[in-house]
Amino acid sequence: MSTDPTVSGEPGHDPVLAADDPVTDTVVNPGAAEPDPVIDTRNTALHDGVNRCPKCGSTEIQLRVSTQMLICLFCRHEWAEESIDPTISGDGTLDDLSGTTIASGASDITSDEGMASFKCGGCGAEVVVNTSESMSSRCHWCRHVLTVNEQMPNGAVPDAVLPFKVTRDQAVKHISDFAGSRRLFADRTFRKEFTPGNVVGVYLPYMVVDSRATGTVAGKGEIETRRYTRKHGETETTYYDADVYQVERNVTFTVDDLTIESATSRTSDVRVNTNNVINTILPFDTKNAVRWNANYLVGYTSERRDQDVSTMVPVLEDQLLSITRSQVEKSIKKFDRGVRWENEKIDVHGTRWVSMYLPVWLYSYYHEHKGRPMVHYIAVNGRTGETMGSVPVSHGRLLMAALTTGTVLEGIALAIIGATL
Amino acid sequence: MSILATLLDPATLQLGLDVLRAAEYDSYDTDDDGGILLLLALGPAGAGLVYWSLYRYYRNTDKSHDFERETTIEAQPVTGGERKVGDRNGTTSSSIDNANGRAHRKRVNRFS
Repeated sequence: MSTDPTVSGEPGHDPVLAADDPVTDTVVNPGAAEPDPVIDTRNTALHDGVNRCPKCGSTEIQLRVSTQMLICLFCRHEWAEESIDPTISGDGTLDDLSGTTIASGASDITSDEGMASFKCGGCGAEVVVNTSESMSSRCHWCRHVLTVNEQMPNGAVPDAVLPFKVTRDQAVKHISDFAGSRRLFADRTFRKEFTPGNVVGVYLPYMVVDSRATGTVAGKGEIETRRYTRKHGETETTYYDADVYQVERNVTFTVDDLTIESATSRTSDVRVNTNNVINTILPFDTKNAVRWNANYLVGYTSERRDQDVSTMVPVLEDQLLSITRSQVEKSIKKFDRGVRWENEKIDVHGTRWVSMYLPVWLYSYYHEHKGRPMVHYIAVNGRTGETMGSVPVSHGRLLMAALTTGTVLEGIALAIIGATL
Repeated sequence: MSILATLLDPATLQLGLDVLRAAEYDSYDTDDDGGILLLLALGPAGAGLVYWSLYRYYRNTDKSHDFERETTIEAQPVTGGERKVGDRNGTTSSSIDNANGRAHRKRVNRFS
């Protein structure tokens, strides 16, 4: 970007752009001295409304899961959007990452308005799409399928989408197998009402974050120097002597594609929801994500992102601290009595945030126990098939199994006591 | 993960081993009233272990994404140091108090 050297940098003046200079978008980060750089991920080949098959012009387009490509249902032509990774990664490596870089689809949400209205390119009718529920709609006059592709200020259009790879039939089998191996102690009503065919394909919003950071931990460590036993009457007690050390460890690392939920409704709290099972099916092969095209979502549901980068920073730092602790674990093996970390810190040198829709097959079951409602999920990773879930239990059956085991063990204990007295 | 894997989970095994060790230790020392009581506790402890293991296998409340191992991380060599600051003699505890070297997600004081 060329600027006028006589103007640029002078107090009270903004840098001047020549008319034909390429423009780099910026968003102002409140509280930060410098604006955050933005990676422009807009799919300029598409626009809101009618987006036709490049071969025949039809708008009957959807994802073909077996190939992960878009297919025209009229002429069967198949194609795919470009991979998003080269746009995001650029030429640099993660070791060069500095500051906060936000892709344009991950920009702050400035409106929660879910309704989008646009003119049908086929007949000129005004068509409304509720982006909270769907990213496409059929024109009620000319029957063209209209899609939302321009990035909106409500977080509905991410930077990229990772298409489904696991078919619906495969997902149903995964869910049936998962619940099938948990039948014996499952709640009786669940067993009766379990219908894996009710599985729904949903694109959930995530923030995929690259980061470069240095973590520091400090605390105490102990090394055993002596072990001995002393008799107190009939009993023997083991005693330990140890050297106590003040320990500090530092590690600088890069993290590639850390994946964090970006919708508050996905917040995990095992006391009131089973969202943790959806978190468990991570990771996804996010390197295969492609540029946004709403046609990938035709036939699936999606959930809007409602979290900004600034609100997700604490979650990222928490995960980077956990990674720090994990990375230094091998270096503290000499402390055979263990280490007690007492202080920790993380210096984040650079982050890069990309908003992404990731594919999940979801089976949900509403269940009430003692007046406490809970939705139990069985989730299947739409790329790898990894399955995790929560099955409501029959507490009566569990209690019976526990009491039976306890009775047998107690019988053995009584037999030992009887034999030794 | 099968129920067998859940029962073989390190946390479950540790609990089971603690119960068995208590029982084994006390079987050599049944003259002791405390030992008999501990042996008698084998039944309730075993019942609790079975209930807890089965509940966990069905509800999976303890599961989450293992991002520390399942994300691509490239780390430079770990640096730092240690210096002896004291002794701890005659303790009956076999490990440091409040050890958290393996509890990666348990946060401690943040300093700047």
